[in-house]
This record gives sequence, C-alpha cells and structure tokens, in this order.
Amino acid sequence: GTAAEALVGQVVLPGDLLLLPGHYDEDAESERLRLSAGATPQGRLLCGPGLRRSGAGLLVTKCGLLRHRPAGGGAYWVDSQQKRYVPVKGDHVIGIVTAKAGDVFRLDVGGSEPASLSYLAFEGATKRNRPNVQVGDLIYGQFVVANKDMEPEMVCIDSSGKSSGMGIIGQDGFLFKVSLGLIRKLLAPKCEIIQELSQLYPFELVLGMNGRIWVKAKTIQQTLIIVNILEACEYMTAEQRKQALAKLSGN
Amino acid sequence: RQPLSLCVVGERLCSTEEATAGSGTYTRHGFIFSSLAGCLERKNEDNELPVVSVVRDSESQLLPNVGAVVTCKVCSINSRFAKVHILYVGSTPLKSTFRGTIRREDIRATEKDKVEVYKSFRPSDIVLAKVISLGDAQSNYLLSTAENELGVVVARSEAGVQMVPISWCEMQCPRTHTKEFRKVARVQPQFLQT
Repeated sequence: GTAAEALVGQVVLPGDLLLLPGHYDEDAESERLRLSAGATPQGRLLCGPGLRRSGAGLLVTKCGLLRHRPAGGGAYWVDSQQKRYVPVKGDHVIGIVTAKAGDVFRLDVGGSEPASLSYLAFEGATKRNRPNVQVGDLIYGQFVVANKDMEPEMVCIDSSGKSSGMGIIGQDGFLFKVSLGLIRKLLAPKCEIIQELSQLYPFELVLGMNGRIWVKAKTIQQTLIIVNILEACEYMTAEQRKQALAKLSGN
Repeated sequence: RQPLSLCVVGERLCSTEEATAGSGTYTRHGFIFSSLAGCLERKNEDNELPVVSVVRDSESQLLPNVGAVVTCKVCSINSRFAKVHILYVGSTPLKSTFRGTIRREDIRATEKDKVEVYKSFRPSDIVLAKVISLGDAQSNYLLSTAENELGVVVARSEAGVQMVPISWCEMQCPRTHTKEFRKVARVQPQFLQT
C-alpha cells in the first residue's frame, strides 16, 4: 500500500490500501484484538464513506477522490459521484406512493426495494383520522430503518411527533431526478445556486437525498425554466450559470 | 429375513391382534395401516407380538421434536421475525433442510418488547435454537433463542471476516475492529478449554 497523505486529492480505486503514519513497516496481517479500550497510537482517526479499516491501514471501497480533514484527530473520506441511491437511516427523501397494503403504504424511493410507510406515521394521525394519501402522491419523509438486510421503513414525523416540513407534497409542481452530488451541493448552507434562483422568480423547492427534486413556481413556464437550470447546474461553472441567469432576468 | 415387500400409503397391513404398530404405521378400527410408501419390515420379538414398521430409506429421517436444540442458518430477517433453515438436529446433519421461524418475542427471555431483530441476527448467521412448536401444515417450525446457551454462534462481519464474541450482545470483527450487535450464545462450560 501507499501512504494516505500522498494520495489526498487524487483518484483512488477500490482495493487500494492506504497506510497511516506510524505504520509503514507494520505487517497488515497482524490482526490481534486487544481487550483493553486503549486509544490507537495515532489518535482518533475518522474513517469516512468509501473507506474501511483493514488491519493497520484503510481499504478503499469506492472510486473517487481522497479527501482529508486534519481537524479533530483527522478524517479521511472518498468523494465519489453516484446516481443510484442507497437508503440510509435519517435521510430525508421524496417517495412516490405505488400501493396501499392494509395499514401500510408502499413507496418507491429509487432504491433496490420499495419502502414502507405506516399510516400512523403522520402528524395528528390516529386510527380514525387517516391521512388522505392516494396512489401516485409524493411524500417527503425520513428513514427510520434502512439497512441492506431489511426493507426500508419511512416516517413523516420526527422523534418528538411533529411533522417539521414532512408529509404529503401538494398538487402541481414538477418532479425530476439529478445526481446525488448535486443534491449535496444544493443542501449545503448558503448555496449560491438557490440564492441566485430565488432572485429570479419566487418558487417552492423540496430536495430529496435520493436525487429527486420537486419545484413549483407561479406559472408552468417559470417552473420549467427553474427545472432546466437546476438540471444544467450539474455541468455548468459558476460564470456560465450567472450568464444564463442574467439572460433570463433580462428578458 | 423376510423377502422384500413394498407397500403404499393407506395399505392395510394386518390386524392389531397379530402385531404391534411400529414407525411409519398407524392403527384404525383394530387394523394396522401404513402411513409411508416404502418397505415393510417385521421384527419378531421373543415374548411379545412382532413389530410391524414401514421404512422409506435405509436411514430414517430425523425430525426435530418439541424441545430439541437445532442448529440453523438465518436466511432473511424482518422487523417481526427471522426466517431460518434448520441444518442439524442435535449433532446429526439433515439431508434436506427444514424451514423455521424465530419470532421477535422469542429471541430473548427478558425485555421482549425492546428487542430489535436487526440487532440480534443477520442473514447468514449460524444460530443455536430450541424448537417450541411444530407448527401446522402451512407454517414452519417455531424456534426460540430465549436462553443463555442459545443464540448466534458463528457470524461474519460486513468485511466478510468471522467475528469474535465480546459479550452476550456484541461481536467484534478482528480486521476492521467494528462492533456489531448480535444475540450471542454463551459457550457451555464443557466446551471451554482452560
């Protein structure tokens, strides 16, 4: 394997072994567990997405760019592009209702299995007061159970029982799909794209971590313009985006 | 030895006055009928009546009884139960696997409502369980792990390496050092080497 610091900012492939400082000569096969909870020699290093700890080093499991953050003991992770969504517990996603089976709705969230959503998992829902959900509706909710062994389960309330923005998404509007990296960029605090777009037209926006975006503006034409800009933001640089928006607001 | 004679299910073999019913047979209206399709065997006892039995193969299929400890492999999990394949009954392997179910309330003896199936079993774990019910025609064997000596014996981590148990509810992977939750079976004292 090679030293982890030498590869920061470069492309790594699955199967690459990254050696951490202080362990260059150690044999990666020594796998003895120590019962005491003593700290590892190099401090508390965080092993982020795309990496897995293997013996003395880190094993890369996704292809992408290796990133490093020295703060707080250090963290390594791999920045990778992905379009296919894998359900993760706690993620807020937009799901499409595909079936009603007894007390449970089946939602398509773009993963390998449809997610289940109980009709009691809405704010103010009781056995007599059922939510008005039809097949084909859009639901914004979060995962409470999401792992590779079981089917994912969603709810539309948070831990205190309040809906906090989740639930059935209203009528009209436009749903489209983008890559997961763009969603993460749009969800960053003070995202420039959203700020610039909001100066163009007023609109409603729902971002799902599964790559789905729902937009609604005053007219259909405005909605479609916003959809096209958001889809193009994937590949446009900041200047190109500013030029495109300047042309539109000039019209 | 008697010459080989075959019989089918429901064939009337003899009356209960001539012989006693053995395995693979049942008695109705004072007669012995066969309940399997196979070879008829008649064993002559010295003082008592001969025993009539029907065998299908040379070795009889061992069926798990209620209260037997079985070794099984988890094939799928759900938030309510875990489905398993029964591989061994006691220490004898089965020729064909049976299917079993471990319900969420039968995984542990204490705090049954706080049990999470995902934190007790995962698919491909090897589990020691006890049969609590044979089930009816459509359902599987009902199993339970609600004892200290029952539970997960062998499990693989997400990295694919066999894990080491560190407590009754956790196992650790020797390569990645991550801990995973399982309902671990306590090793019986006679198997511990000191």
